[in-house]
This record gives sequence, C-alpha cells and structure tokens, in this order.
Amino acid sequence: MAGQSRGYPLASPSELSAFLAGAERRAFKQAVFAVRNEESALDIVQDAMLKLAEKYGDKPSDELPLLFQRILQNTIRDYYRRQKVRSLWGMLLGSLGASREGAEDDYDPLETLPVEPRSEHEHPPAVQLERKQLIEIIEHEVSRLPERQREAFLMRYWEELNVADTAKSMGCSEGSVKTHCSRATHALAAALRKKGITL
Amino acid sequence: MNEPHFGNKVRQLLNEGIKFDGKTLERLRAAREKALKRQLVEQPMTGLAWANGVIGSFGGFAGFSFRLVLPLAVLVGGLLAINGWQQNSRVAEVEEIDVLLLTGELPLDAYLDKGFEAWLKKRSPL
Repeated sequence: MAGQSRGYPLASPSELSAFLAGAERRAFKQAVFAVRNEESALDIVQDAMLKLAEKYGDKPSDELPLLFQRILQNTIRDYYRRQKVRSLWGMLLGSLGASREGAEDDYDPLETLPVEPRSEHEHPPAVQLERKQLIEIIEHEVSRLPERQREAFLMRYWEELNVADTAKSMGCSEGSVKTHCSRATHALAAALRKKGITL
Repeated sequence: MNEPHFGNKVRQLLNEGIKFDGKTLERLRAAREKALKRQLVEQPMTGLAWANGVIGSFGGFAGFSFRLVLPLAVLVGGLLAINGWQQNSRVAEVEEIDVLLLTGELPLDAYLDKGFEAWLKKRSPL
C-alpha cells in the first residue's frame, strides 16, 4: 500500500470546500443576527467550520447542510451561555450598576434575550437605494425576532431545510418548528407593515 | 398570509444583503482553509480504513492481541484439557474392568459395558 494516494470515501475536500464557500456568508450573517457582533460572529463561523471538518468531514456531502446548521446553532448557544456566565460574574462583582428589566429564563435564555435596536439601521442614509434600505430593514427586523423564531425561520426559508430537518437541527418537534415559523412570519410582516412595506 | 411566499421574498432580500467587505471575506476564507486542513489530517486511508477501524476498536494491535487472541487461546486450551481428561478417565475405567476380568472376578460394571455384551453374544453357543 506504500505510495498509494490517500482516498476520501465520502465528502472530498473539494466538496467540503465548495459547501463551506457557499454557506459561509449566510452562516456569518446568521451569527451576526444572533450575537450582533461581527468579530464574535466570525469566531462562531470559524468554530462551526472546524467542528464540521474535524468531526463530520467524512460524511456524505448531502448531509453537510443539516450538520453545519446544527453545529452553527449549537456554537451560537455556547456563545450565549458564555455571555450569560460572564454577565453573571459581572453582576456578582458589582460592576453592573444599572438594574436589568426582568429576570432571564434559566431554562431557555434564547427566548428571552433582550433585543436592542441597532442605530446604524434605524437611520439609513437618505441617498441609499430603496432596495438597499429594504434589505437593511428586513435584516434589522429578522435580528429582532426572538431567537428560536429567527432560527426556525432562517433555516426553513433561507437555508431551505424542510420541516423535519429543521426540527432535527433545533432539537424540537416539527409542530414547534411550524409554530415558530408562523409566528416569525407574522411578526416580520407586522413590523414591515408598520413601516409601510408589503412583500 | 402565504407563509412560503413571504419566506421566499425574504430569502431573496437576505441573499442580496450578503455582500461583505474584503476583510470579512478574507477572514471567512482563512477559516474555511483552516477547517479543510483539519479534514485532511483527520481523513484515514481508504485501503486500511476498515481493518484499522476494527483493530482500532480493540485498542490498536496491542489491544487486539490482548483482548481478543488471549481469551480465544484460553478457551481453546480449556476445551483441549477437558477432552484429554475425559479420554483418560474412559481408558482408566476400561483398564480396571479388564484387570478384574483377567483376575477371575466378573464385576457388575462389566455387564454395563457394551463391548463386553457384544463379546458375550458372540461367544454364546446358541
């Protein structure tokens, strides 16, 4: 066997590379929607890519989208958990003077993550094209959705996963996915209507 | 509201929005290449992948011999010992009956021996 070339039984490096090249921008944007920090979002995407290549690099290429989504969402959740621990320590050390509104749900912090407005999207330059403004409004409203709703909506309609795969990736029932998607759609549509936009 | 229609519209807009500056794209490209290098390191050879996987599941070649070959050898050795002991006890039993026959006493066990029964039938005058 000496001198024989190395073989790649399932997803070859070129297939994995092509997949990641196609998915990385959307993944980055999803992470930005979730954590609202580009540096952290880049770290999250990099971690997700490494985990996919290291642990699932030998999976068939058609399984990669679902696996990558699952890893990406888990990496985002890990980020939230770390942030929560940090903020807890910050509170214990007395560094936070201002009181916070409401208590975070210990069971699922994603549902109750406070949504802060992003000032750069609230006052778009008047010279921007209408399309660009519309995109920014959409991105802004998507980022304001509750975490689980946004996760379900983006996986279903941006990543184009079916209900079953989305449920598997989110670790919930198909019924929950449908509910999250429906609520997200209604929330987005209502937010756009308030701005006089109908899709 | 038509949810799939709305979702498709949003998808089109989001896809138009994934345009990033060069620095971000460079970071993403670097992350991708780093991940691909990890895949190359982790990728096993196809020819020996299966055998390596089987042997590896026993803890490599050392673990393979220790965990699989050793118990098998003990089992085979045990079976051979039991077989040998059975053979010896049978031979000793036959020898004992023969000695008693030769010394003139007819032990009760002789009638239980099928060989002796056959010999009697053969020797009977009819």
